[in-house]
This record gives sequence, C-alpha cells and structure tokens, in this order.
Amino acid sequence: MASVTALPDRTLAAARPAGSGRVFGLAYVSLVYAFFYIPIVVIILFAFSGRSIPALPLEHFTTRWFHEALDDRQLVASLWSSTWIALLTAVMATAIGMPAAMVLAWRPFRGKAIIFGLILSPIIIPQMVVGISLLLLFRYSPQLLGTIGIVIAHTTLTLCFSVMIFYSRLLGFRRSLIEAAMDLGASEPRVFFEVILPLTTPAILAVMLLTFTESFGEFIVAWFVAGFEETLPIAIWTSLRFGLSPKINAIATLIMIVSITLSAFAQFWILRQTRGKPAQPRP
Amino acid sequence: MTDAGPAITISRVVKYYGDVLAVNDVSLMVDEGEFVTLLGPSGCGKSTLLRMVAGFIEPNSGDILLHGKSVVGVPPYRRNTSMVFQDYALFPHRTVAQNLAFGLRMRKMPRPDISARVTAMLELLGLPGMGERRITEISGGQQQRVALGRALVVEPAVLLLDEPLGALDFKLRKQMQSELKRIQRQVGITFIYVTHDQEEALTMSDRVAVMNAGQIEQCDTPERVYRYPRSSFVADFVGEANLMTCRVVATQGEIVRVRNQSGEEFLARFNGDRQIAVGEEVRLVVRPENIRIDSQDGLHGTVEDVVFSGAMAKVSIALADGSHLSVAVPAGNALPAKSARVALSWDADNAVIVA
Amino acid sequence: MSTVDTTAELRAARDSSRARSYMERQGRWKSVAGLAPIVVWQIVFFVVPLALLAVYSFWRLVNYRVDYTFTLYNYLDIFSNRLLLDALLLSLQVAVVVTIVCAILAYPIAYFIAKKAGRWRTLLLILVIVPFWTSFILRAYAWKLLLGERGFINSGLTILGALDEPISYLLYSPVATSIGLIYAFLPFYILPLYTSIDKVQDSWLAAAQDLGATPMRAFFEVTFPLCVPGLVVGAVFTFIFAVGDYVIPQLLGGGKSLLIAQAIVLEFETSQNWPGGAALSMVLLVIILAILAATLRWIRMEDVV
Repeated sequence: MASVTALPDRTLAAARPAGSGRVFGLAYVSLVYAFFYIPIVVIILFAFSGRSIPALPLEHFTTRWFHEALDDRQLVASLWSSTWIALLTAVMATAIGMPAAMVLAWRPFRGKAIIFGLILSPIIIPQMVVGISLLLLFRYSPQLLGTIGIVIAHTTLTLCFSVMIFYSRLLGFRRSLIEAAMDLGASEPRVFFEVILPLTTPAILAVMLLTFTESFGEFIVAWFVAGFEETLPIAIWTSLRFGLSPKINAIATLIMIVSITLSAFAQFWILRQTRGKPAQPRP
Repeated sequence: MTDAGPAITISRVVKYYGDVLAVNDVSLMVDEGEFVTLLGPSGCGKSTLLRMVAGFIEPNSGDILLHGKSVVGVPPYRRNTSMVFQDYALFPHRTVAQNLAFGLRMRKMPRPDISARVTAMLELLGLPGMGERRITEISGGQQQRVALGRALVVEPAVLLLDEPLGALDFKLRKQMQSELKRIQRQVGITFIYVTHDQEEALTMSDRVAVMNAGQIEQCDTPERVYRYPRSSFVADFVGEANLMTCRVVATQGEIVRVRNQSGEEFLARFNGDRQIAVGEEVRLVVRPENIRIDSQDGLHGTVEDVVFSGAMAKVSIALADGSHLSVAVPAGNALPAKSARVALSWDADNAVIVA
Repeated sequence: MSTVDTTAELRAARDSSRARSYMERQGRWKSVAGLAPIVVWQIVFFVVPLALLAVYSFWRLVNYRVDYTFTLYNYLDIFSNRLLLDALLLSLQVAVVVTIVCAILAYPIAYFIAKKAGRWRTLLLILVIVPFWTSFILRAYAWKLLLGERGFINSGLTILGALDEPISYLLYSPVATSIGLIYAFLPFYILPLYTSIDKVQDSWLAAAQDLGATPMRAFFEVTFPLCVPGLVVGAVFTFIFAVGDYVIPQLLGGGKSLLIAQAIVLEFETSQNWPGGAALSMVLLVIILAILAATLRWIRMEDVV
C-alpha cells in the first residue's frame, strides 16, 4: 500500500553525456569507496594467507587460521559472551525504545524537546566518558560489573537510535489505519497486535539487527565495566598487546562478514520504511 | 433499530482545537435511512463533526445521540458507527477478504458466518472472487469499494464517509457516485457523507448541510439549497451566483420589490423567517443561467466579455452602477457582441434575497 | 495508488491536530507509562553517572586514597601539567585537521550521491555506512595492518620496488592517528551533507541558470548556501568524535605523543587517579558542550541519529 518511491526523477542528471567532469567525479568516488573498503579487504586477505605474520606477499591460500581461531577456547567463549550480551541489548533497546517512540511520535505533550534531549544526548558524549562514568556508578554496586554491566552500558548507548528509528517509522504510520481498526470494533490492545505490530515488524527487526551489531562490536565502554567478563572485542584488544596474530584476522573476517550482511539488510529495510538516510552507527 | 425518531441527533455541539473554534454550536438531526451530506470548504469543521460522531474526537460541549442514546464518552470501538476514510485506511498486511472480515472478527462472529457475509459483500460490491487479492494488487476504484464494504459489512447504525471519492479520477468518481447511491438504497443504512465537492453533494444526497466557519448555514434538500440559498455563502459555494446589493421598495408576501444602486427596480423573492422592512438594504442572488439577455427592458448593461466554454457561453456584463453580472447562455443561442448595450431580466422567483 | 498516498499525506499535514485526536482522548497515564522506562533508564545510567563524574573531579587523590573534600586541585593541575596540556592541545589540533580533511573529502562524495548517482543512490548510500557497522576496534586494527612497518603498504611498495626500506613513521605517529580518525568518521560527515544537498531541488538550479547564472555561479548562489547547515553539523560531530576517541590513537598513534583520551585512561587505569581522570573528562566534556552550544542553531534532531 505504501508506495515508497525512493528516488525522484533524476533521469536528466543521469542522461547527461559523459564529460571529463563526470569521469573525474567517478574516479574520485571510486577512490573514496576504495578507501572505505581496502582495510576490510586487507584483513580478509591476510586471514586466508599462509604466512604467520600479516605481510605481503600473500602465501598459499589456507583456512588454517579459522580452524585455530575456532579451536581457541578463550576466543570462542568471548564470542559467545558477546553474542549473548548483544542479544540482550537488542531486546532491551527495543523493549524500552519502542513504547517511548510511540508516545513521542503520536501523542502531543509539553516538554517533548527535553525528553528528546535526554534520549539523544549520549550521542555527543565520548563513549569513553560514558564508560568511565558508568564505572563510577557501578563502584556502588560492584556485583553489576560484568555481563549485566555491559548490557546496561550498551543499552544506554543504543537506546538513542532505537528510539529514532522507531520514531521516524511511527511518524509516517498512517493514523487512519489505527482509527479504522478502532472504528471496526478493535479495542486498544487488539489495535496494537492486529495493526501496529504487524506493520512495524520491519522496523523492529531493523532496530534489533542494528543494536545487536553495535553491541557486538563495541569495545571501549564494555572494557570499563566488564569486570572479569571478556567480550570478543576485549579479547581482540588484549591479544593485540601481544602482537598481531593471524587468528585475529580469521575471527575478524567472520565477524565482519556477519555484521556487514546483517546491517546491509537492516539498512535496506530502514531506507524502504523511512525514505530517509540510513541509520548511522555510533563511532 | 426500528424505533421511531432520528438515527442521529447532534445537539449544540462545540469543539475547540486549542484556541481555534472548529465546530460552533452545531445541531443536526438525521433520519433513519437518510443520506445527508456535510458540504463545505476545507477547514469548515465538517470532518471534525463527522469524527465526533465516529468517536475519534469528543466535543467540548453538546451531545450526540445515536438512536436516542448519548454516545459522548463512548470509545469508537463501542459505537455502532462505521467510517469510510478518505485514504481508505485498508490494512496493507491483510487481503481483501481479511479486511472485510476485520470488523466481524472484532465482534466475535463465528467463522462460517463471517465468510458467508464476506462473500455476500464481495458480491454486492461487484468484486466476486477478489477476496484473496492483496490490497496492493487491486486498483484505486476497487480499493474504494473494499473500504466501503469493510464499513458496511458490520451493519452499522450509521455509515460515515469522509470524502471517500476524493482520491479517484473524474470518471471513476462519477461512476462511484451512482454506485454509492445504489448501495445506500439497497442496504437502507443511514449515510453521513462529507465532501467539499458541491456537485457530488447535490447528486447523491437527500439533504445537504452547507457548513462554513464551524456552523451549518443551511440544511435542506439539494434543490432547495441550490434554488433558495439562505446566505450569500451558500449561494456562492453551491453553484455560481451573482450577488447584488439592493434596497427594499415594497413587499407583498414572499415577493419583494427592490431598487438597485442605479435606481432600476425589479422583483425578487424572500424565503427567510423574519419580516423584511421597506427601506432595508438586502443582498440577493441570481444564478447566471436564470438571466435573460434578449429582453426589451429591465436592467441595462454593457457586454464586457464573452467566453465560450462548451455547453455554455459565459457573458460578463457591466451594469450602470458599476457592478458586474455573469450570464450563462446555452450553446446555440445568439450571443451578444462585445460592447453591445443589452437589457437583462429574470423571473422574480429566481432572484433570491439571502440576507 | 500514489494518489491515495499523496492525498493521505496532504490531509495529515493539513490537519495534524485532527490526526492526533485518537490519542488525545486517552488518559495521560499512557504517555507516562510509555516514557517512564526510558526516562528512568537515562537518568540512572546516564545522568547520574555523569553527575558522579563531575563530583569526583572535585575530589582529590592523596596517598592513593580519595580525599572527599571539595578542591579545584585537579583542574589547576591540568593547566600546570605540561604533559596533560600537551595532550589536550594535540587532541584539539588532530581533531581540527581531521575535521577539515573530512569536509574536503566528504563534500564531493555527498554531492555525487545526492545529485549524480541516479539509480545507484540508495546502494552508494548504504555502502558508505555498512563498513562502519563492523566493530570499531577491527577497523582500527585493519589500519595497523595497513600502516605497520611490515604492513600492507610498506611490504607492498617494497615488493613493487618503490621502496628500498619500509617507511617507519607511517605507524605510531599523529599522522597515523589522523588517517585512522578520518577513516572512522568520514561517513558522519557525508551523511548530514548528503541530507542537505539532497534538499536542493534541481529545478532551483535550473531556475538560477534560466535567470542567467552560469552553472558555477548557480552552485555558489543556490547549492552551497543551502548546505551550510550540513557542513556545520558534519564538522561538529566529526570534531566531537575525533577529539574524544581512544582506540585509534592508542592502536595507531603509539605512546609517544598522548591524546587526551589516552591521558584519561592512563589516569584511571595506570595511576588509579580517578579524580584526576574525572577532571580531565570534564574538561573534554566542557569543550564539547561549548562547541555544541555555539553551533546549536544549525543542528536539527534528524541530523543527530
């Protein structure tokens, strides 16, 4: 029903004959995109290279480092712990963010700007400072350090884009659908389950994917509040202190492929839903 | 539902949006099975009034009764009204049949009954066999029918239609107008119809309530609203109208002799409730198609412009007192030349004093 | 189909108060119930911790114990301690350079995506963002692989014969830090710029040219003024992110010249001087808030997330 025309007519610009300016432009754009992707490609190349130090020239193709990485108990344990934490974070950020976004998008009330300020301000605070200040808080209840502490920290970091993704989706939600359902006899809970929930499922999935990815890869805040818990980014950071290991390239390759795939899906969803710009991660 | 008395009674309803007065002390009664149209420009309060009947908005004061029972404070899902939305508000994640069944499911009707009713409704809408289609797969006109059917299938006491044909193109709109009227006669349900399209209002309704600035200016049959507008707003909004300011010279029942600013006298008609006094200044309306150009005497004027537009030619005439009149001449009749001096006349019955 | 949507939107825009009405009739407690969790959460886990940080910064570490009496010692120390002051200044310097380079790199890209990419627009937009959803630490690590003494660039150039011996200063220098930061934050400049350039209608440019402006003149008279907000917003966020980052300077910059984030971590982790670290954090926050306050009128909510 929602005919989302993503692109306005741009045939004029596209149809212009290729001049030198266009060639130059294309070359420039290609260079910058190469800049974006070369680091990722390099990690993947080294992950499959037979040499035990990440340097050129690449040697024979091998999957040995993947086997070694997956045989490394500590690394695998940290992988699971990160997955777990990310899942919990995704659920928390969705469960807290969606009702808030419904109120913000649909209900008039005074002081909306203050609520938005409260929700969005973690974005402008350096993550390290967020981590440190949470560490100060947890000093008063040290039993929270560890998994729970990291989930709390990551939820705090990801709530802002959970709310904003839901908010932009719900702003565009056709209110007449809710009214039609009520008019036909659906009470409020039924309206939610019969109309609102099915129509916002893509947004919910997108939020869960993005918050999961964000939490999964987050290092600095987790580092401060981790206690003895070791997430994958913390494990990688620790191992970097002891020099570069091809195992890290292998595990990094796995993570990157998974998170790039997941977030690409999520982004397409968001773009389809909101016709806006893609959601950006925290730095 | 057989109890006598009006289907809907709207009584002295007032609605503010913040400081803005949207509906100003409106009263209206709609009989069982009647087709009443709320007609007016956007922002006149017609949709607000409709949505108060549906229960999406509560009035600040006044009462709304459905079959004699007040529904103020009753949530929309417990009111026996159904609405057809301007954007149809069809659930995009459901099929045509699921959309039709929605209200019946909410009323906890047994499954077999639901499917029987849905099938019958598809039949009535002229969409047999389309039940399994997705909403996105059917045309705008078909969506319009489904929206209508979804509201009708629950057999509401009143069907509320909020500019339901606004999104259709001209031809389809014409077709749907007669279709709507047919369906309304067939099911016999009371319709309240909101539109800003005067032609739509005139063709379909039993009665038209013309609204302006939060008030109903006139509520009458389409013919009476057109022929005997009560106010210059109604005259102007419904059809085309020439407005003139004159002074009353003499009265005799409904017929009034008036004199315009250049001293010419003619007869007019007054339908108002109040008494009209000699010497009073009044405004009157003459429809362009009721003015004769070929008469020997009457009001004198000069032809300023002649514009041909298909079935009618529109002649613009400047009167001696500086005002302008627009005259519609059916195609085939002789047209006056530009700058020609002409005399205009009309039947007393067609010059209606509006205030 | 599209007519339906357009009228629906027009209608919603024309009368938003009407659209709200269904919600209006519900009790206020539902608003409260929806917002309470997030408000409580943000206060307990964001506002209170920051307040604690502020409080800590006015205490002092004496003989490895925190002395809970109010003092400005930590702040005075920052401005008298050469090392900390240098870290602060270097951070600001690096952040300014990074911001400027990002602006120069980002503008043509944003312009290209918004105006020249045609049907590739969505794809290009997503390609800008996707790599940045991968772990920040991995992206920083990748640059270590690229810039290292035996890394991708050095060993590659050596094999090609362009270098006799590896360039040693590629890694562990403010230059390496800057490259890493530019890489990390370039998308945050591209996106707000894209949004503002996208708003410039082609017909406005056509009108300007029709009225006699050359394409170049049209760009400077129409397009450029309209993307000033995007430029400012991009600059503010790039600067804020760059000035407070820890991972990249720590991995790529080495330990020779510290940035402020590294100094803060040193205070917390190594010296266990929490009040001192808190004061440094507060200085960083004040700088950020000052920049935000100065540019607030350019920033709209939709640019933030």
